[in-house]
Amino acid sequence: MNHDIPVSQIGPQGEIMAHAIEACVHCGFCLPACPTYALLGDEMDSPRGRIFLMKEVLEGELPLFDAAPHLDRCLGCMGCVTACPSGVAYGELITSFRGWSEPQRNRSAFDKAKRVAILKALPAPKLFSVAARIGQYAKPLAPLLPDALKSPLDLLPEHVPAMLDLPKFTPAQGTKRARVAFLVGCAQQALAPNFNAATLRVLARNGVEVVIPEDQGCCGAAALHTGARDEALKLARNNIAAFNPDEYDAILSNAAGCGAGLREYPEVLHGLPDEDAAKKLAAKVMDISTFLAQLSEDGGLEPFMPASRPIKIAYHDACHLAHAQGIRAEPRALLKLIPNVSLLEVPEGDLCCGSAGTYNLEQPELATQLGERKAKNVLSTQPDMVASGNIGCHTQIQSHLRRQGSGVPIHHTIEILDMAYQGLL
Amino acid sequence: MSLFNRRKPEKLALTANSPVSKPRSTEAPSSPLAAELTRLLGPQKVLSAYGERLNYRYDAILVGKTPLCVVLPETTADVVAAVRAARAADVPIVGRGAASGLSGGAAPLEESLVISFTRMTKLTIYPEQREARAQAGVITLAVSEQARPHGLVYPPDPASFRTSTIGGNLGENAGGPMCFKYGVSGDYVKALEFVDVDGGIHELRRDAFDLAGLLIGSEGTLGLITEATLRLTPPPRFTRTLMSHFAEVGQAAEAVSQAIAAGAVPAKLEFMDKACTNAVEDYLQIGLPREAEAVLLVDTDGDDLATVEEELALVEAACQDHGGTVRRAADDAESAALWRARRSISPALGRIRPQRMNEDIVVPRSVLAEVVREIRSLGEASGFHLVQFGHIGDGNLHPNILFDPRTESSEKVHELAYQVAQVAIRHGGVLSGEHGIGAMKRDFMRDAVDAVTLEALWDVKRALDPEGMLNPGKILP
Repeated sequence: MNHDIPVSQIGPQGEIMAHAIEACVHCGFCLPACPTYALLGDEMDSPRGRIFLMKEVLEGELPLFDAAPHLDRCLGCMGCVTACPSGVAYGELITSFRGWSEPQRNRSAFDKAKRVAILKALPAPKLFSVAARIGQYAKPLAPLLPDALKSPLDLLPEHVPAMLDLPKFTPAQGTKRARVAFLVGCAQQALAPNFNAATLRVLARNGVEVVIPEDQGCCGAAALHTGARDEALKLARNNIAAFNPDEYDAILSNAAGCGAGLREYPEVLHGLPDEDAAKKLAAKVMDISTFLAQLSEDGGLEPFMPASRPIKIAYHDACHLAHAQGIRAEPRALLKLIPNVSLLEVPEGDLCCGSAGTYNLEQPELATQLGERKAKNVLSTQPDMVASGNIGCHTQIQSHLRRQGSGVPIHHTIEILDMAYQGLL
Repeated sequence: MSLFNRRKPEKLALTANSPVSKPRSTEAPSSPLAAELTRLLGPQKVLSAYGERLNYRYDAILVGKTPLCVVLPETTADVVAAVRAARAADVPIVGRGAASGLSGGAAPLEESLVISFTRMTKLTIYPEQREARAQAGVITLAVSEQARPHGLVYPPDPASFRTSTIGGNLGENAGGPMCFKYGVSGDYVKALEFVDVDGGIHELRRDAFDLAGLLIGSEGTLGLITEATLRLTPPPRFTRTLMSHFAEVGQAAEAVSQAIAAGAVPAKLEFMDKACTNAVEDYLQIGLPREAEAVLLVDTDGDDLATVEEELALVEAACQDHGGTVRRAADDAESAALWRARRSISPALGRIRPQRMNEDIVVPRSVLAEVVREIRSLGEASGFHLVQFGHIGDGNLHPNILFDPRTESSEKVHELAYQVAQVAIRHGGVLSGEHGIGAMKRDFMRDAVDAVTLEALWDVKRALDPEGMLNPGKILP
């Protein structure tokens, strides 16, 4: 579409935004793919509407204040990117826009404090773990608290597991097939340490040696997507220094959001001196499921023990796997390798579960509606178990399954593979 | 009013340090109409702030004027209240579905009240009558989805059927790939409820004067369709899909004529040229033949497998006789992928140039090959990207002129579009098969319709909307 965005005044991020806006032909194909449009039915809360709003703000035609509520309601699930035949880079647009507009926002002191707390706690697993523990004890008090504090408590699991120390180096078993670096993820370490333990076991068993670089930190996705651009830049640069792509066959992540975050570095650093290094790093980043699927194609995986009885697994597509990284087939193919396992497709599978990074905390009402809808859709398939590849979806779906009185367990794809290896399925 | 994106007259100065300068206004405008509507319908159904209204000025091809106010009705009574209030305030009324239309039908050309039907989504299936009763905002695909458990479907399937609404489809009399064998939206309407310009509610059936037929395809210029009773049919038991590609566009058209003359009645018979194929392949990467000048996509269907296969064989032979390479879809998944490709053409064209003018001509099948070739040479001579696709079984073609308004002249685009329309008219064709005339093709109406007939159309318009308050600036020149 036409625009009059003063690109030269905004800089490299302006180019990214203008490019995305130009590509939009306002056909409306994105509307049915958008969770907030599905809930609210308003053009402003659709991707097409948001693109127009951002254009108007960038052109100086609309005050940011007027557009902000609708832009804040975007989950960043990228469902619209999958649906868009014109190739609009919506993710790059909204991320750049949030970074550009955040310094101009006039947030309340409470809002500011909440954002700082989230962005400080998330990248620090130990701090997060302590906070989660405190939260766990505060849970009974939830009814007395204001909504803004209730929502994070709601999401905490019944028991916050103990932290696990991960080895800096895990040797390959048998013939060495590859050497990889592994990003451990932040919230995940505190809430579900077994995801990482299972990942190391499965990789080692398949001849992969794993290095966990010590200086690594948070991928920065949460900061980036909430508009804390300076913080995101700092975190990105830290990881670029920590992971040397030349040393590894791949840089792996087992959290969809973190993997997508690493792969976004070239956009984050567009026009800055580290752009080339970011591109080199991003080119090596892979989700654990893609990496294992490639190993499987290229020489096979160690065989899995059959499940002890026929098991039906509902596979949930995490938005940051399916939409942001285009990874759908690989996790399904891996799960199907386990004898006695069958997969179920969830109705409205492309619709976000409502977790979406910090969305749960910032838009609890819409997040809850989406969580309920997702849990209902999952349960309609009558699964024995649910699989997903992202910690955010994991906590959200688990919490809504429980709220609906269901005892169906949810596991990371890699945990299920690990269980199969151990004969625990 | 230019046909294309209009630059806004007032511009705020931008400075390097604060790209967004002073807010214009964060207050809702004090339009008396917005105030009255809020009083009548409550704040949840009325959008009056600038940031809320500006997103209701476009459809999928045109950006019009920001409406004065937007109403999101939930019932027919809400529509009546909105219409009466707009009349009292002397403000024109524009109806809007999902705004996926391609002729500018839902884009207001002057300051208007936009009535957006996206919240009127009540849908009831009556399996024993093989009917569905749908409010205007029901998503088209939802009708078939909810009817299917009862062994029924709603055949009209415009390419935008995941997005578009029943009200919008009826307003434009939308077609779709199924139209060759199964007809267009209007063919499935048994009854229609509409609100007239004075706020009166009418329930039309297809008897006496076919007033329902008059409302269908009237693009909101005669009344606002609020509900419809739709005919449902059992889906065919068998469907087979075939794709054929050709080294030359005219060959594809000739193959179509031969197949139909031989007695094949394909359920779908679609055509796309090389540029379309490549734009879609860039999006889906499913292995479409990038080198082919023309691709045909064909479904045959029915309850008797032998007949379905026989018809497919007729099409296959016709394609081969005209130099086509034929590939049959191996299974339902392959067939679904091919149809998804077809449905994505229109928006995928944005990958070539950011803006376009979409034609919707229909010509007799006997002249198809000639028309396709003539339009192609017009495009080549013009220097613009002119691409073609469409429901070729119906003779319904969509020549699209793709352009970049910053570097290419809108006037020249319009000129070329006019020449294309002339080709259709010269060969005994019409200007619109399924997308409506809207604002995009209004200028061509004088060439397509003789003066006496045009006056009759004006008489109808004046009878139902004497003061021209309903979707002004559309259809009639």
